[in-house]
Amino acid sequence: MSNTVRVQPDLKFVKELQQFGGESLKKCYQCATCSVVCPLSPADNPYPRKEMVWAQWGLKDRLLNDIDIWLCHNCGTCSDLCPRGAKPGDLLGALRNMAYKNLAQPSFIGKFMSGKGLPVLILIPALIYLFIWIVRAGILGTAFPLFEMHGHDLVVSKAGQIVYGGLFPGDFTIDPIFAVLALFMLFGFASGVSNLLKSFASMPKTFIVGRKKEPSFLCAFIETIKYEVAQHTQFQDCGADEKSKKRFKGHLLTMYAFLCLFFVTTVVAVGHWGGAFLMQKVMGLTDPLTQLLTVAGATPMPLYSPVKILANVGAIMLVLGLTFLTSRRASLDKAKQGSSFDDWYLLTLIWVIALSGLGSEVFRLSGLATIAYPTYYVHIVAVFMLVAYLPWSKLAHLVYRTVALAYARKIGRIPMQPVQH
Amino acid sequence: MANNSILVVGGGFAGITAALEAAEVGYDVTIVETNPYLGGRVAQLNQYFPKLCPPSCGLEIQFQRIKNNPRVRFYTMAEVASVSGGPGAYEVKIKQRPRHVNERCTACGECEKAAKTTVPNEFEFGLCQRKAVYKTHGFAFPFRYVLDPAGVPAEELEAIQAACPYEAIDLAEGEKVFDLTVGSIVYATGWKPYDLKNLDNLGSGKLKNVVSNMQMERLASPSGPTNGQILRPSDHKAPKRIAFVQCAGSRDQNHLNYCSYICCMASLKHVAYIRKNNPDAKVVIYYIDLRTPGRYDKFKKRILADEHLSLVKGKVAKIVEDKHKNPVVTVENAVTGIKSDETFDLVVLATGMQPTMAGQKVPASVLDEDGFVLGAEDKGVVAAGCAKSPLDVMKTAQSGTGAALKAIQNVVGR
Repeated sequence: MSNTVRVQPDLKFVKELQQFGGESLKKCYQCATCSVVCPLSPADNPYPRKEMVWAQWGLKDRLLNDIDIWLCHNCGTCSDLCPRGAKPGDLLGALRNMAYKNLAQPSFIGKFMSGKGLPVLILIPALIYLFIWIVRAGILGTAFPLFEMHGHDLVVSKAGQIVYGGLFPGDFTIDPIFAVLALFMLFGFASGVSNLLKSFASMPKTFIVGRKKEPSFLCAFIETIKYEVAQHTQFQDCGADEKSKKRFKGHLLTMYAFLCLFFVTTVVAVGHWGGAFLMQKVMGLTDPLTQLLTVAGATPMPLYSPVKILANVGAIMLVLGLTFLTSRRASLDKAKQGSSFDDWYLLTLIWVIALSGLGSEVFRLSGLATIAYPTYYVHIVAVFMLVAYLPWSKLAHLVYRTVALAYARKIGRIPMQPVQH
Repeated sequence: MANNSILVVGGGFAGITAALEAAEVGYDVTIVETNPYLGGRVAQLNQYFPKLCPPSCGLEIQFQRIKNNPRVRFYTMAEVASVSGGPGAYEVKIKQRPRHVNERCTACGECEKAAKTTVPNEFEFGLCQRKAVYKTHGFAFPFRYVLDPAGVPAEELEAIQAACPYEAIDLAEGEKVFDLTVGSIVYATGWKPYDLKNLDNLGSGKLKNVVSNMQMERLASPSGPTNGQILRPSDHKAPKRIAFVQCAGSRDQNHLNYCSYICCMASLKHVAYIRKNNPDAKVVIYYIDLRTPGRYDKFKKRILADEHLSLVKGKVAKIVEDKHKNPVVTVENAVTGIKSDETFDLVVLATGMQPTMAGQKVPASVLDEDGFVLGAEDKGVVAAGCAKSPLDVMKTAQSGTGAALKAIQNVVGR
């Protein structure tokens, strides 16, 4: 035949996929049950049946440029009903895990995102902050200092209180480091998103008969934020069983908890650098707005401060959400759906952040300096890891999935609508 | 004490064949059958492979051979309760349920006229109702009525008894238990259609116009509930668009993990029924891969030449119904990559064969993980027919003959 397509299988890639959690993919016999039962897959070239055959054939290019891996919300219905136990859900998860490691630059960080690389990822922030702690302990004369206010200055005093900012002064040991990390993270995401959009653009386009003009990316993006992100509309449709409902609740709670805590952090940063530093010190303003900003962002906050209340509510939501997500993941039938390093890395990291954050507050209020400071140290190390490695971790889905969903909206790649009776 | 008689459990095609082969070379054989009739699943078919004969054709000859051979005894409505002893001397306890109708019955049907209570007809897979006293099917062997008194008021039972002109009805008959001593045992316990209730995404057996392939056999059978007219159950109209769903619960580790061997052929055969019955109907077969073992490939070629038939590679994984009770199937055509909802008038689920004994205890033998009887051939316990593996009728007969030889080898010279 003249139009024979010669398949060039990339066997190394197939093996790599199997390592990343797609180990059962060879069992697939292409019955297409998965594409049918998936509540989110579109009518035209639905996933994940085609991904299974691409993976078996080692068609790396197709898989790496595939937008559908981001449209999947991983409810596991396909794997539950798969007649061969080929776990198509795990294959898409494995492809996402590969994408996290390869999309963002510099990609060597992604290489450390595994059981073997984990100690390095932990050691970097652990050593930085241990060094700072030792230096500060030398200056202050103790590793577990208590402080009192003398005018505008903190002074070490046996009768004082625990002030984390006294041991790790924000202006010098926290904010500059995290500002650099944030820039690093943004750069990582910028390169990742640019690679992602390039890969989508390289795929063949679908022309939908009868569709009005394609919306702009911005329009699609705003709609995606409004529905898929803010209301979790697709997540809600993803899977109908009890476990899926638990996952939906858990994810929604966790996301809003993060938003609360992000808002609190922003208030502190704006209050400190915008209010106290820029407006008060540099510009010398004393108007009520400046004062409000300064007071709202000053730490440690009194427990009645609305910002502090929001922070505590966020922390409780986070613990609740994490409980739902973790108990669901732990109860998964391993014969149907596996959990990868990336799944547990993220869950564990957020647990450590939530518990060490709450612990820091509780131990500070109880005045247990020898426990409070190490807890705070763990918290800083964990937050460093979350922020610095974000584009290479599973949490990067918050950017990649949002971009992919917006792109899918733009090109009209939406879930097949059920029959109306 | 050594015994050279043979017990055959199951009076379907495999069991009858094994029994006759052994009896005709001089061994005493007892058949124990749980149904009120012999003939098993074949009796329920409209036509069977390889020559598309009606079941009466092959079974009539077998029944004649049984009638003419004093070495074959059979018990209907009977089951093996327990087995003790060993090769050459198995002590078998048989339990026989009461038929309440004795040999004087001529199947005149007077009793049925007096009966009022109706229940779903098991022989017709619930496609119609039967009375409390009934004849399972037209060529039932033994040709005798059965009375099922469960849930029937006493007055009605008396009226049924009174209606019989031959005093053939015995309401007082109770369960019988008796012992047999045999040298070998053949398990030819056959198969049952995989229960639609297990197929949640295919409607769990609740959708009116979604039938199983065995129900299709009954719909096409001249002795069936529609006298051989293929009509949809909800409104008894002739279906214009019919879909076949292959591997419904087969080759699926969540259901039957194996291929049932014959369902692809059965669906192709059903296309032939439809073509004869309703020449304008359009048929779609949804399949994973069409399996036509051995010479059946010829049959496939003939059926596929039909322009009203189309084949779609893709397993149906969802069926719902619209407000007109039309089944709507969702499927991805794995060749074109298009997922769509398709509405049909009738959907046939090509369900597989589950061994009858699955989940039960088989005395003197064990089952494999799918429920097929493994037998213990060194001890004279032999499996035959679909109790052993999914087969067509022809191979079932061969399997019965083979089992007879194994059973004889165990008792010969004892």
